[in-house]
Amino acid sequence: MSLDSVSENTLDLGNLSYLTEVDDNLCCPICHSPLIDPVHTKCRHTFCSNCITEALETSKTCPVDRKPLKLEDVSAAPIMIANLVNDLVVLCPNSELGCPMTCARHLLGGHLREDCSFVAVKCSGCDGTTLRKNVGSECLHQLVECTFCFASCRKLDMENHEAECPQIIAVCSHCSGEFTRSNIKAHEATCDEAIILCDSSDVGCPWKGARKELSEHTRVCAFTLLRPVLHAHANRLATLELENKALRKKIDILLPPRPPTEVPTPSFDEHTIQLLTEQEHLRSDLERLTASLGEMEIQQGMLLMNESLRMKEEVAGLRAAIGGIRMQIHWLMNTRHQSVEQRPVGGASSSSGPQNSPAQGGNLSGGGALPNIRRMTEPPNDRVKL
Amino acid sequence: MDQSTESANASSGPGKSTTTLNGGQSVSKRLQTELMQLMMSTTPGISAFPTDGNLQHWTGTINGPEGTPYESLTFKLTLEFPSNYPMAPPTVLFTTPMFHPNVDMSGRICLDILKDKWSAVYNVQSILLSLQSLLGEPNNKSPLNGQAAELWDKDPKEYKRLLMLRHKEAED
Repeated sequence: MSLDSVSENTLDLGNLSYLTEVDDNLCCPICHSPLIDPVHTKCRHTFCSNCITEALETSKTCPVDRKPLKLEDVSAAPIMIANLVNDLVVLCPNSELGCPMTCARHLLGGHLREDCSFVAVKCSGCDGTTLRKNVGSECLHQLVECTFCFASCRKLDMENHEAECPQIIAVCSHCSGEFTRSNIKAHEATCDEAIILCDSSDVGCPWKGARKELSEHTRVCAFTLLRPVLHAHANRLATLELENKALRKKIDILLPPRPPTEVPTPSFDEHTIQLLTEQEHLRSDLERLTASLGEMEIQQGMLLMNESLRMKEEVAGLRAAIGGIRMQIHWLMNTRHQSVEQRPVGGASSSSGPQNSPAQGGNLSGGGALPNIRRMTEPPNDRVKL
Repeated sequence: MDQSTESANASSGPGKSTTTLNGGQSVSKRLQTELMQLMMSTTPGISAFPTDGNLQHWTGTINGPEGTPYESLTFKLTLEFPSNYPMAPPTVLFTTPMFHPNVDMSGRICLDILKDKWSAVYNVQSILLSLQSLLGEPNNKSPLNGQAAELWDKDPKEYKRLLMLRHKEAED
């Protein structure tokens, strides 16, 4: 950084913060910020001088209306426009450092050059730079000696150094004794007032108190008394745990498919899954059975129908046969009646008749003509044969 | 007048390094202003915000304009601003898979104002609005996606189907 840039070139008008909101018409259409060094084109559009110059390097047209434009066609904007933007009130660029100044934009250069306390200027005592507010006092760049550690550092950096100087006196929070910062840790490890835990806190003693009271406590501490026993137990527990672990490993090797820790939950799951698959099986079985039942019903129906058809046919055949027989009987009866009427009944040959009559008598209607039947058996037979 | 000569000296003295430095500052300054304007105006159907706090890399969204096949669809895009923005246009890409005559399969956009017709007065808002209207009024004379250009007039149904198919990739 050259001296010039430090003292002079702190004003970047493009990065100013404006106190009030700026009318859009006072903003450059290219950088969207309030116009700086406004110029206008022959097509009467206004830009920042730098913005339009840069824009014309890439395209020889007006950015707003795309009309051909050359740098020569650009001239300073009317003074009124320049005044409007120059009178806009801005914050000092050093406001973050603490400068409360607000002023019209065109006065800012003067403020920074002459007044602003937060501008870096040449140091009065040496070749360095310093903020203007410090110029009146002694040079902050001279080396000073730290009163604690005797290291030398710039006065400017003293504050930072003091925050971390190892020799600076710190106060112990327990005994209020004063120690250098580098020793305070060591002191706290031995400080009589420091709050510490009982030596047997590892085996469960809840005691907490100043270090100087520790010996008194140790005398009555039950945990300290039992310490050897407890330690022995702890050791034993540890060895047992180790052994247990080793044994578990062995079991794991011997029973590879069943990790002992994971048995309970999966077994339940397995069971459920088994039940579910069982149910699924049963369901499919049921479906299969219903289907075959239906099939069988149909089959049975078909069979039944076939059978009944056959029976019907048979019945019809039988009925026809019976009809035929009945006709024959009628005919025979008729002929018989006729012959009986022609020849009166004689009782001579009726000796064998009564024996045969019960068998045939039920079938025949002729109640009173038992002997005739016996006789008529032969003639019909002859006729049928004929 | 003193100020201007000083600043001229300053910029001519250290040379290029300061101009690029100032350039970088002016880019972020301008992008900050744009972001403010965009947040304040809340134009319906478009939005944009810097990605991961990087002011030179924005993510934008466009809602498809009503009465076009893009209606009720939302498209994401990225805007990458060069260090000489707004003298040069940002690189704009659709990140949502897009089916459009002027957008290729990797999301590159053929739009004159993003190329040779760029002007320093354009901003994020005007880019997004131009892209939104491009969705409804494609330039079918110089298509990047010939199929889309052909179907635009011939078969709007098929166009819509392919568009939805492509847009669905975004959700998968």
